[in-house]
Amino acid sequence: MGGSLLRITPSGACGLIFAAAAFLVLPALAGSYWMSVFISAGCFAMAASGVAFMYSRLGMVSLTQVGLMGIGGWVALRLNYLAPFPFEVNLVLAALATMVFGWLLALPALRMRGLYLALVTLMAAGGLEIVFSTFQFPNGGTGFWGVKVGSTEPFRGPALAQTPQALLRYVVVMVTLGFLLIEAHRRSAPGRAWAMIRRSEAAAMAAGVNVTLYKTWAFGIAGLLAGAAGALLAASLGLLDDGTFRSSESIMLFALAVVGGAGSWLGPVIAAVLLRVLPALLSSVGVNANLAYVIFGLGLLHALITAPNGIAGQVFDAARALSARVRGAK
Amino acid sequence: MIVLEDLVVRFGGVIALNGVSARFTAPVGGIIGPNGAGKTTLMNAVSGFVTAAGGRVEMNGADILALPAHRRAQAGLRRSFQREQIADDLTVFENVLVQLDHRIGRAAGKRAEVAHVLALVGLSDRAEARGAQLSGFERRLTDVARCMVGQPALVLMDEPAGGMTSDETQRLGDLILGIHGHTGAQTIVIDHDVDLIARVCRETLVLDFGRAIAFGPTAEVLADARVKAAYLGAEEIP
Repeated sequence: MGGSLLRITPSGACGLIFAAAAFLVLPALAGSYWMSVFISAGCFAMAASGVAFMYSRLGMVSLTQVGLMGIGGWVALRLNYLAPFPFEVNLVLAALATMVFGWLLALPALRMRGLYLALVTLMAAGGLEIVFSTFQFPNGGTGFWGVKVGSTEPFRGPALAQTPQALLRYVVVMVTLGFLLIEAHRRSAPGRAWAMIRRSEAAAMAAGVNVTLYKTWAFGIAGLLAGAAGALLAASLGLLDDGTFRSSESIMLFALAVVGGAGSWLGPVIAAVLLRVLPALLSSVGVNANLAYVIFGLGLLHALITAPNGIAGQVFDAARALSARVRGAK
Repeated sequence: MIVLEDLVVRFGGVIALNGVSARFTAPVGGIIGPNGAGKTTLMNAVSGFVTAAGGRVEMNGADILALPAHRRAQAGLRRSFQREQIADDLTVFENVLVQLDHRIGRAAGKRAEVAHVLALVGLSDRAEARGAQLSGFERRLTDVARCMVGQPALVLMDEPAGGMTSDETQRLGDLILGIHGHTGAQTIVIDHDVDLIARVCRETLVLDFGRAIAFGPTAEVLADARVKAAYLGAEEIP
């Protein structure tokens, strides 16, 4: 088992090189505004990887992912003002708490599939949106909800990463770990179980797969990634705003993960770049950032018409064709 | 020995299986019957996808009807479907390995067992091929391999020869006959191909409208007048 678990595929190698490049080059690229844009893109890539693997490996549509990020962020902020834990403790606890919430969300998933499951997760996202907008995010106030009017107390980021540049590197490492977590699952027993569930639940049961356990597990992993992403986003911004976690954002995240290509690491990265970097880029050149929505729509049409595996699938196909050509030329 | 005792399955007001009893003792047994006789329902009830309203199903001397489907699989029940269920994004090897994943034990031992069974069905050189790249027959062979790993006690095959050439059916028949020798499991085959049933099944159960109308050695059962009437249709067309 060990051999195949550590085997590096060409696409995986590209991913690691991309992560290394992001780690080394991105922080040197621009000022602190762009740092925060890239950090938030990293966080959304992590969350998108959760919905992408659920969609591509199990065929399940989850439209709560950004809401789950909000839960992770809420728990991280709450813990920050509650006790003098280092950021890493808050990060892990926030991720675990969100994983538990993911399990709760899995309860309907055990009975429903397809459109009905998507609707239930969308309802959960809608519920979370209302909770967030009603109670806001903790900012150092007293009581359970920890909200006060006026200036917010400082948020302790990771001790290793006190500058935006260092935090970006920190996020790149975390996102890479998240992607590797999914890949390790895919290559071991849970991945095989998921593939069988996607084929058909009856076939999975006939193969001795505990469908309930592995579906719940998948929701847990997606929750874990969303929770960690939310906590990292809190570390970047120092405070969170309920507008970030609207249910429409969850739908957008899912749609863009499909546009990007849910089956590989590149898909969630493309999704995050489209969702976070593109609007910033548009407004920095003086164009209305809402134009991004038009581009998303075009991207979605493009993916539906020409790219069953998303943009990432097309990129890898092109790379394969190119390498075959280079080999042929030699 | 596989024992069915008074097995009843109802879908609302429809009685799909009406007190079916049989005692399979041969290495390979068969179930035949006209369309809608309840063959697949029987298989679904035994493997746990349909809840039986009453009766017993004994495998290895224990009643398995109370177990959920995946626990029955873990207890040694194997099931292949009319449409072979191979995951397209897993390799042949992984498609078989999934059957052993629930078992606690060394990975090397499991991999060796999968490799052994793939050699038996003749898929060793396709082990790293993805499900999506397989031909229909290779998919069926992968399914058979999955049925043979992990010390099965009972292998249920629902129309395994559907859509196959006669050569392929021949090879599949050889494999089915070999399952008992290689694994010790009993096999029960549903098929419309009476030649295949006559060749591989020593004893056969005949269903018609949810009732067992005959059970015994295959040649005798096939010669039975009631079976002929049910299976080939004895009524005159007005």
